[in-house]
Amino acid sequence: MATILQTHSLGISFGGLKAVQDLNLTLNEGDLVGLIGPNGAGKTTVFNLLTGIYLPTTGDIIFKGESIVGLKPYEIAAKGITRTFQNIRLFGELSVLENVLIARHLHVPYNMIHAILRFGKYYQGEKEMRDEAYELLKIMNLAHKAEEKAKNLPYGEQRRLEIARALATHPSLLLLDEPAAGMNPQETTELMELIGFIRDKFNLTILLIEHDMHLVMNICERIYVLDYGINIAHGTPEEIKNNPRVIEAYLGEGA
Amino acid sequence: MKQMLKNWLTKENLTVTVLLVVLMLGVQVLYSAGILSPFVMLNLIIIAINIILAVSLNLVVGFTGQFSIGHAGFMALGAYASAIMTLNFNAPFIVSLLVGAIVAGIGGIIIGIPTLRLKGDYLAIATLGLAEIIRGVITNIDYLGGAYGLMGITQRTNWLWAFGCMLVTVMVIKNFVQSSHGRACISVRENEIAAEAMGINTTKYKVIAFTMGSFFAGIGGALLAHYITFIEPNAFNFLKSFDILVMVVLGGQGSITGSVVAAIVLTLISTFLQSLAELRLIIYAIILILVMLFRPQGLLGTHELSFKLLQRKRGVSHGNHSADA
Repeated sequence: MATILQTHSLGISFGGLKAVQDLNLTLNEGDLVGLIGPNGAGKTTVFNLLTGIYLPTTGDIIFKGESIVGLKPYEIAAKGITRTFQNIRLFGELSVLENVLIARHLHVPYNMIHAILRFGKYYQGEKEMRDEAYELLKIMNLAHKAEEKAKNLPYGEQRRLEIARALATHPSLLLLDEPAAGMNPQETTELMELIGFIRDKFNLTILLIEHDMHLVMNICERIYVLDYGINIAHGTPEEIKNNPRVIEAYLGEGA
Repeated sequence: MKQMLKNWLTKENLTVTVLLVVLMLGVQVLYSAGILSPFVMLNLIIIAINIILAVSLNLVVGFTGQFSIGHAGFMALGAYASAIMTLNFNAPFIVSLLVGAIVAGIGGIIIGIPTLRLKGDYLAIATLGLAEIIRGVITNIDYLGGAYGLMGITQRTNWLWAFGCMLVTVMVIKNFVQSSHGRACISVRENEIAAEAMGINTTKYKVIAFTMGSFFAGIGGALLAHYITFIEPNAFNFLKSFDILVMVVLGGQGSITGSVVAAIVLTLISTFLQSLAELRLIIYAIILILVMLFRPQGLLGTHELSFKLLQRKRGVSHGNHSADA
């Protein structure tokens, strides 16, 4: 399988604090990989580096054969990396449908002149966009809430809407930041199936951060473990479960 | 082309078009027949110009969420550029109008690119400052009449021009806001980080909104210059920017019809209170305070007045609640 994303000794410091150090990630096309670690280990920082929100102090990020370091977040999204946010960042005052439509803007089939003069292309393009957005909402089981304000959805549904919105950009690499946070066990199980389903349906590579070990161990094929910004282990769920350094990081020395 | 017509020819569009045409021609006929006094006409034209200014500022402040309080600066650019075209180059009115709008639009790009990096209060202060700079520069250019301003501009703005320009402004901004590009602007207001992560070039859309807003402010300024036939730098000070901002906030940030309603109401209030001299400002302020106390989101919030809404309010449902909102 071809490599889609590779980081070479990626690192970032905030003042004296080395939030992430010397990280070498490799993701192959179609992978479903977990990124775990105790609170404050630097997991979300890795996502912020990959999506261009932070500029790395060291190292390189190679996506589909080219470096994406220094690109703006929207340029990286256009290249095919999108994400969800741990602290949900929906467009709260807008409808569920509009949230997805906005993410579809990268592939808008008409231009501003068409829109302002209301050419047929505008109506046709809007219809295409809406149909596709509805399709995504159906997959994420949100179609019945399409007209509701995003901020009025329950927590679990907001997380699913974040995924629907990310999918609308047509990514090839999807970064999920704690997709199951705040969900009950039933919802988490459904989400697990959903993540596997969208990977196959949209030919995605998925990297996910999650604290729910049940979810991570069950669906991830490989796992990277971060502790204090350092990658302390990498392997299959079985290997990670039995890795003494991982156990130490999570439970403390002598556990 | 056929498809285009079919899409456009909905019941609501037709009703609105007929109403607008009746209003436009009706007022003109009544005025020509001597039924409407010049005083009423003056107010109607000022209302139309204020609608242009409020709706264009709403695109920047309400829809894109960029708190700009320098709208009068762009009005000034439009007013002076168009007045010069008329006075010194004897240009036809349409050319003067367009030159005014384009000069203001270019001013918008030049000022927008550096200032739109700022957020919130900082942006407000920067736009305020730059609008004052525009005024200061104009005051110091002799060619533009300096502090005395320009006099003897041919009066060319009449009801038809004012109303026509208002219609174009409202239509263009409405169509823009309801497009994918307009939604990109709205996403900047809602959550800039998420918008960037979803592939929206937020700087680009801020500048687009700001430029469009300035362009139409330029038209407003040009119409005003060719109506009162006399312009001076002080007519475009920050109080003017503030007046327009009040209309946007009062009508509802992110509501085009809200801005229209607020522009009408506030223009009428200030006309009726004119005879009360100083008391006028106090009453005006009290009205604003009351509205902000009881409707902090503005008269309409982010909602739009439409026939659908009125029908729903009256409980008449035509069952046509498709997704094409």
